[in-house]
Order: sequence, then structure tokens, then C-alpha cells
Amino acid sequence: MPEVIIDGKSYKYEGQHKLLQFIQDLGKEVPFFCYHPSMSIPANCRQCMVKVGQYIVDRESGKHELDDKGNKVIRWFPKLQTACNIDIADGMVVHTQETDELVRRAQKDNLELILINHPLDCPICDQAGECPLQIQTYKYGPEGSRFEVKKVHKPKRIQLGPRVVLDAERCINCTRCTRFTQEISKTHQLTITRRGDKNYPTTAPGTEFNDPYSLNTVDICPVGALTSADFRFKARVWEMNQTPGIDITNGKGCNIDLWTRDNIVLRITPRFNMDVNDHWMPDAGREAYKIFNENRISRPLQKLDGEQILSSWNNAVATFIEQIDNTENKNILVIGSPHASVEENYSLAKFSNLMGLNQPVFVPHLKEGAGDGFLITDDQAPNTVGCRLLGFTELDQKALKKEVVKASLVILLSDHLLDRNVLTHKDLDGKFLITLATNHSETTKRADLVIPVTTAAEHAASYVNVDGRIQRTFRAKETKYTNRRLDMEMSEGRLDRYGTNFDNWVTEDNKIDCLPVWRFISEAAGSKGLDLVLSDGREIMDEISSTHNPFKGVSYQLMDEQAGILLINDSKEKTNA
Amino acid sequence: MSTADWKNYEPVLIPDIKDLHNIDVYIKNGGYKALTSVLKDKEKWADPKSVINEVKEANIRGRGGAGFNAGLKWSFMPPADGNPRYLACNGDESEPGTFKDRKIFEYNPHVFIEGALIAAYAMEITTIYVYIRGEYRIYIQMMEKAISDAYDKGYIGKNIQGSGYSVDFYVHSGAGAYICGEETSMLESLEGKRGYPRVKPPFPAQKGLWGRPTTINNIETLAHVPAVINRGAAWFKGIGAASHPGPILYGISGHVNKPGVYELPSGVPILDLIHDVAGGMRNGKKLKAVIPGGSSTPILRADQLDGITMDSDSLRTVGSMLGTAGMVVMDEDTDIVDVLWRIAHFYHHESCGQCTPCREGTGWLEKILLKIKNGDGEVKDLDLLLDLTTQMEGRTICALADAAAWPVRFTINRFRDEFEERCKKSVHAFI
Repeated sequence: MPEVIIDGKSYKYEGQHKLLQFIQDLGKEVPFFCYHPSMSIPANCRQCMVKVGQYIVDRESGKHELDDKGNKVIRWFPKLQTACNIDIADGMVVHTQETDELVRRAQKDNLELILINHPLDCPICDQAGECPLQIQTYKYGPEGSRFEVKKVHKPKRIQLGPRVVLDAERCINCTRCTRFTQEISKTHQLTITRRGDKNYPTTAPGTEFNDPYSLNTVDICPVGALTSADFRFKARVWEMNQTPGIDITNGKGCNIDLWTRDNIVLRITPRFNMDVNDHWMPDAGREAYKIFNENRISRPLQKLDGEQILSSWNNAVATFIEQIDNTENKNILVIGSPHASVEENYSLAKFSNLMGLNQPVFVPHLKEGAGDGFLITDDQAPNTVGCRLLGFTELDQKALKKEVVKASLVILLSDHLLDRNVLTHKDLDGKFLITLATNHSETTKRADLVIPVTTAAEHAASYVNVDGRIQRTFRAKETKYTNRRLDMEMSEGRLDRYGTNFDNWVTEDNKIDCLPVWRFISEAAGSKGLDLVLSDGREIMDEISSTHNPFKGVSYQLMDEQAGILLINDSKEKTNA
Repeated sequence: MSTADWKNYEPVLIPDIKDLHNIDVYIKNGGYKALTSVLKDKEKWADPKSVINEVKEANIRGRGGAGFNAGLKWSFMPPADGNPRYLACNGDESEPGTFKDRKIFEYNPHVFIEGALIAAYAMEITTIYVYIRGEYRIYIQMMEKAISDAYDKGYIGKNIQGSGYSVDFYVHSGAGAYICGEETSMLESLEGKRGYPRVKPPFPAQKGLWGRPTTINNIETLAHVPAVINRGAAWFKGIGAASHPGPILYGISGHVNKPGVYELPSGVPILDLIHDVAGGMRNGKKLKAVIPGGSSTPILRADQLDGITMDSDSLRTVGSMLGTAGMVVMDEDTDIVDVLWRIAHFYHHESCGQCTPCREGTGWLEKILLKIKNGDGEVKDLDLLLDLTTQMEGRTICALADAAAWPVRFTINRFRDEFEERCKKSVHAFI
């Protein structure tokens, strides 16, 4: 097997690899800025300089040429090479900054040059704390600068588009953003303008950077040149918790990270998953952070004399059971939701089953033509396939209306059917509507009983995307009834770890008074004396995998290990997304 | 013909013939004979390979500055597969001190066209582009006229002279960027993109214009080809310096009495070029320095020039290069600090900004030199400049960083006293 020698150690390899990626895959490091594993390699930042050579081998005998001391003679390339674009070859000898003074010096020189026209405004820069330039300057940069003349000045605070702001002075011209619009989103909206040290990326005159994937350029920008118009100046990265999650705004189920501070989700960034979204996600999914914070239903709501008032959990459970008891089973309609997780839908179905009610129905939330074949899908819900695999009856608008007409009590899980125009107020005339929901909407306004439930940021639950891949979320923010310190799965940021409940950066107000669907269902079942205790998503999934064939073998542990599990291989079964 | 009797040299690229740019005059004087012979004389030129071999044998070293054997470059093209292949002719000469291709465009465009056509035939190329710098507007028009005349006469187009070989020829105008004279960024520019040099490998012969095999040659290099075909490789090799044979267009500018483009054998002594060819120093001033081959080549002091001839070997002995043979002659009144600042300003202005060392380094060099020029510099700045040149050299995709660094390094090394004199007196004086 061919081998390369990196810093004196030999590594065997197979296939073709670029040197920088190979070194990274070994868990070692060479500093770089412009390289990105999912895009073309321009080799323009010149930071990943390494010394590359080859042992001199006698062609006939196949023996290494040796010097006087018996060491193998190396023929070095005349110049230092950029590791990012060089293919590794059998017998290649590489010296990185760890072993070679020349390489160390070259990398330091390059950083000095990058920094001369950089404003060095880290204290007011959003990127600080997660800035490759900052990190690598600390590690490999010069101690000071010999630059004593005037820096180049370029445009600042340019609103490139609705979501992205440019500070051209911070830009180091790595061209990651322009390559992103050329190679990944293919809108070709960004290009580098001007020449030399006056270079900066911008749009064509008179056009705006409204690419539906524009915020990815903010993520890949190795400095603070491109920042999110929305997130700018909201928080320092080291104050936030980073929790993995799943994008619930469409059917693709992009892997994301939720960034929270004091139980408010402040931003959403994509998380790498080769099989789903690579390093990217659509802008729409990022704006969804608001649904976790704003307009949330906190405490149950009940209608009294035609007006919704705050109620208590005891009242809510009592009313819930009372309504079911007082209605004939055939007049009760249970509606599941493609917007809710597998576990939530399952809990509802199990309760429905034990009570002798109907197997929940659901209405897919599709928007024809919205998909782009990349990460945006026609399917507007994260779990349509999950509902299908649970065996729920899939109804269209007409069929649902027919069912609603027959019912006098409607139990609706997390689906804003009035807002979606699937149902009208007229359809629900004279019917008692119970909805389990996360956010206020037209639908919850109409409901006679509103049960506030947890969002994808507050519970661990799984969603099956349009490709039949099941992936799960983690608890990112606390509710009134959870505690970060007692929950081993919740991440703890600096402020959580070192603060107390009496610190001024902690507010109880940000915790929503809501319960996971399965907790409410268990409460309700308990008061009916039913044998139904569902404590958390992990156990529910174990139960589902033993009772539902499509979920066979699925567990949280396996999902975590494999970054999601593909449940269906037959493409015919996928939705028409 | 040895270098010594350059005075008897008969020019072939720019002979003294009236209206040679006119295709009829060119044909009357033996023009397009070489092309016709290559296409039709199957005894002499059995196949395209034979043409490449002859050119390789002649050792026409690329006149764009790098000095690579043109025939050898042609032989790197992969075998033809029926898909498009390109010849890109580089007429973007923009280096300060270089103005030789312009003479060909103006006086004898057809010798270049004929050379390009022979090269295209030899490499089985389907399309030729000639990239001319945008500032040469009038020469772009003249080239367009010359090419359209050659189309009319049947030297370009379908089935040239009944030989079955077809090729198209297009003029492409630059837009004023020096970097587009770098071969791969010229390809980017031809494709309609921003002129950024490409990372090599892949080399243009494998993946060039629109991802197809492409050869890039300088205008003057191609203009030498018809003479090599007509008179043979031995004739060409017999002219001038052995290691860098053939005639060269010397572009002499600066403080001489008769600046201009002169066609002479390679290897003419520099002092002969100044005193005999270019009519001596202006106003009888003393010679101070010469930049031998365009602004990026290291400057030479007058006292380094004795016995030095204009060929790569001889110039290497004194630490310089032939480059494009665009000589800049400077007399004793020249302010070397100003000269170096002006050169640094040029490279700062022209750096494309792709690679960090060049983008940031060229600007830094210029700013320090401006400081020194204005009398605000310190001696430590000179050492910083020298340090910066090593930080830039050899660490970028193309050679612009080298071209910017060399003049700074060599000018400071060779005229250090003048620079120090401009600097502020040391503040660390011991009293």
C-alpha cells in the first residue's frame, strides 16, 4: 500500500487525497483560510504552505539513495507547496510547521501580510471567538506587526442583500463566498471587484444578494467580513450554548445547531451531515429560530364565555378528559401532524387507541413548486414520512372536511389547519376544538382548549425527512419543568456553568410553561386510570421500534452514532417532494 | 552569424519594406510561402510532427520573458481527438519597458499571422485567439483588418489552400490589466472571466481554454516561425548567442538618442546597443543604470555592464535576466529611489489580489518606498523591504509577486548608498 511520510511518521493510504485534507483527517493541523472541503480549491490564501519532497529512489535497483550518515536522501520541491491543492503520492515526504522552521516562518510571514490591511477590530467584531483568522493568528502568527504605514480603507457596513452585511476591510479575499454562489447555490450573485489590495466581494451593480442560501456565506467566511444582518451584535459566541438539532421548516431535515443564551434561541447554523445537507442550509430555516422564542403559548388556555383565558394544567387535563368522556367515540376526530415528531404522533395515536378512538389522520403540508432540488423541498413539514410510517391515514383537504363534518370533538396536534387554509371557521362551527400547539395562531385562537407543548428546541424527538431518514433533536432550551444542570443531554455554556439563578443574565421569563406531548398524554391517561406512561423520547422510540416494523432497530444511540438512519431504501415510497 | 558582426544583420521580422502590413506587399515579398509549404509540400513536411521537430530543433526560446523552447512547448500538446484545441497568442505586453509586439502588429502583422497558422497546423489546432492589450486600440483594428485580408486570400478559414486543414482566427481585446499577460489569467480573460491566474497543474496543454488543450505563445515567438520554416532550423540557430539563438526585437527606451525597437541577433553587447544602435546617451550624459528586460528584471549598474551581452547566460553572470529584451536606459541624473517607487507602484496597481503575499506585499512595498522617497524613511525600512521580498517571492500562484519583489531587492542591493542617503539620519546617535 502506498505511504506518505508526514513529520517523520509514515501513513498508509488508499485512493487519491489532497494533502491538506489528508492531514486534517489524521487529526493533525495545517492552518488555512480559503480551502473548503465542499468547494473547488483556489489555493489563494497561501496559508497552508508546507515543505514537500520525495525520497530519491534508484530506478533500477529500487533502493533509496543514502547520504554519508545512512539517511535517505530527499529531493525537496524548489518552493514551498500549498497543502490544499497537492495530491499525495507514494513516498512523499512532508514537513509541516511542527517540524520545519522554514514552514513555520512562511506561515508566520503570510499571517503578517494578511493582517496588515485587516482592521483588527476583534473587540467589536461578531466573528470574534469563532474566527479562523483570530485562532490561527494566535497559534501561528507573528508577535507583532512591522506595518507602520496607512492601511487600505474599503467600504464598510454594506447591506449586500436582505440578510447579509459586508465589511470589506475585514475581508481577506479567500473567495469562499463567491465560490459558494458559483458552485453550490449557483446564483452567481457574488464576485470579487477591484484589484490587488483594494479587492472585495460584492454583487453586480444594482442587484442584491438575495440568494435563498445567502447566509451560508456568513458561516464559511473565515473572518467577520460577511455577517448576518439579523444576528449582528446580538451575542458573543462564547456566551451561547450550541445544541444539535434538526431544521423543522421543511421536509429535508437539514442538520442544524441551535445557539441559545438564557433559554432564547439566538441563531441557527447548519451542522455538517454528508448524507443530508453537507455544510449548508437554506436561509428560511435559519429564520425559524424565532418560532422557538416568540409568540409561544405558555400555560394552557381555555375558552370561557367565548373568550380564551389562562388556565391551569389540572383544569386542562380535566377538561380534556371530560370532553372525551362526554362525546361519543364516533364523534371524536383525532388529527396527527406532519409538523410534530414521530414520538409526539405516536403518543397521541397510542392514547387514541387505548381510548378506542380513531387512528389519527393527517394532512400533508405541501407547497407545489417551492422545492429547488437542493435543500428546499415542496414539503413544508419535517415529518410527513414519519406520519406515513406510523400508519396514519393520509387525507387531502376534501377528505378531512368530510371527517370534520361528522365529528363534534376535534383533537388536533401541532398543526395550524386554519392558517394553512385546510379548514375554515365554518367547518368548525359548533365543534369543540382541542389543540396541542407551540405557537399562537388563527387555529389556536379558535380552539376551545389549547395545550402548550414543547418545540423541537425543547424536547428530544425524531423526524423522518423526505428521503426517509430519521434524525433527532436535542433539548436546547429549558421549559418551566426542565433543568439544564440535571439533564445530562443538555449543553451548558459558560453563563450556565458559572452562573447562578440569581445572576442578572438569567431570566425565568424565557422558560415557557409547556409540556412535551407525551407528558400531557400520560397525565391525561393517568387520570383515566389507563396504563400509559411515556416519560421521554428515547423510551418512546424504543417502544416504536419494537412495535412498528419500519422503525425496527431504530434507537437514539444508533441515530447519534450514524447521524440519522435511512428507514426506506425504495425511492418510490418517498414523498413527491 | 556570430554576435560580433551584428552590424551586417538583415532583419526578417521588421525589414525595411514599405507598406509591409499590406497583405499584397507581404505576399510579394515571399509571405505565406512557409505556410503553403508546410500545408502542401508533403515531401518536406510529411506531417504536423515534422514541423514541431524543426521548430524544436531551432530552439526558439519564448520571447515573452520565460525563455522556454517553443517547439518543446508545442510537443506537450496531447494527441488530437477531434475536439477543439486552441492556440492563444499573447499580445498583452504591458510590462514597463516592453513594446516589441506592437512593432509587429504595426509593421508586419502577417508574419505573426503566418507563424501562428503554422503553429496551429503543427499542433492540429482548430481555433486561434490573439489577445491584444486594450490600450493598443489602433493595433487591434489593424490586426482585425490583417486577419480579414488573410481570410479573403484563403490563408485562414475552411480548407486552407486546398490542404484540407481548417482553422479560425479571432482577435480578443484586453481591458487594461497587466495580469492578463500571465498566460493562465489570459485564458480566464478570454473566457470572459476576471483575470485571475490559474493554479498549475493542470497545465494549459492538458486543460487550458474552456478546459481544452491550449498552447500559449508570445507574438514575437510566433513571428519567428515562418523564417525557421523557410530557412531551416540551422539558419536560426546560427544567429546570435548559442544558448538563446535567433533574432530578437530589442525595445530600447530611456535616456538614449534614438529609442525604438531594433531587430538584431541575440547576444549583442549592451553597451553596443546603447552607444551604437540607440545613438548613445541623450545630451552626452553618463550612463547610470540599465534595466535589461522589462521592469521586473534586476537592474544593472553601469559598472556591471562591461562585456555583458543580451542573452540569458551572460546576463546571469551579473545577476539579471533577458526577460523581454525591453531595455530601459537611465543616465546619471536619474533618481533611483524614484525609479524603484514607480516600479513598485506599477506592481501594486496591477496585482490581481488573488494571493495574499502579492496582494498585501506589493502595497506594503510601495508605501514604504513612498515614505523613503519623501525623506521620511529610516534605514531599518530598507531591511524590512528586503525581508518582504523574501516573504513574497515564490509563494504565490503566478510570478507577479516575484516580478514585484526582484526589482526592490536588486535595486536596493545595488544602489543601497543612494537609498540610505534618502533615509532620515539615525535617531540613535551617540553623543
